[in-house]
Amino acid sequence: MLLKKAMRKILNSCKKTTELIDIKAMTSLSFKNRVQLYLHKTMCKTCSAYEHQSKLIDSSVMRWIETKTKPNTESSQKRKKKILEDISKS
Amino acid sequence: MKTDPTNSKISVENWVNDYSDALFQWAFYKTSSKETAEDLVQDTFLAAYKKIDSFKGNSQPKTWLFSILNNKIIDYYRLRAKTSKKTVSLTEHQGRELSNGFFNEAGDWKDTAINPIWNEDQELLDNPKFNTVMQSCMDDLPLKWKHAVTSKYLTDKNAKAICQDLSISVSNYWQIIHRAKLVLKKCLETNWV
Repeated sequence: MLLKKAMRKILNSCKKTTELIDIKAMTSLSFKNRVQLYLHKTMCKTCSAYEHQSKLIDSSVMRWIETKTKPNTESSQKRKKKILEDISKS
Repeated sequence: MKTDPTNSKISVENWVNDYSDALFQWAFYKTSSKETAEDLVQDTFLAAYKKIDSFKGNSQPKTWLFSILNNKIIDYYRLRAKTSKKTVSLTEHQGRELSNGFFNEAGDWKDTAINPIWNEDQELLDNPKFNTVMQSCMDDLPLKWKHAVTSKYLTDKNAKAICQDLSISVSNYWQIIHRAKLVLKKCLETNWV
């Protein structure tokens, strides 16, 4: 029990670890955090899996935004057509 | 300066072709909603067409159109603040509770099982249903979070500029992105059948 407590202090909770995983994707972590993250992941499958999921969520959001804003696609042509129709009506 | 109506129509038509994509992207970045962005761009061109006489030609058409659009965006947010909140997105408090809900008091996963939807990466992304689910998950996010997420992926702005836009600190921004990702995880795991 005491060992477990000590380990948690060193290796962080899963909650803290997921936070570090997401922050690592945006900026660089301190050396201490990098070591903690590495050790935690070797011992915790769910957090390792979260790192993969977090990356997949990145690609998902990216994909979603691309389909929304990509210029010169069908939707862009449709938008242009609609605007032009409205102008000629006014 | 009086412009010939046919001429003004032609120049606005050209502007639609040249600038509507850029205007749309900006409006989408500002409102995080495809439909709203489309409406705002539409209104922008209509307004431009109606008051083309006031376009002196001493600024670039693009600049002029963007200034009209920015006013439309401000109007949109003013109106939205006045009319009651119709959106059903989560409040920030609910979002925080939802993201905390993954963990017990000690900070360990409540459920250590790994959901199998994440194993089939490519199938997940290529599934035609994917965008519909993603759309509703993004709409669920608290508005500020959605804005932070959209800014992060849509623009090449750095974190500092985004934070200034949202008037939050950088560490707050990291927290928001982290929590938003947990909420998206939850939403995708629930709605992906």
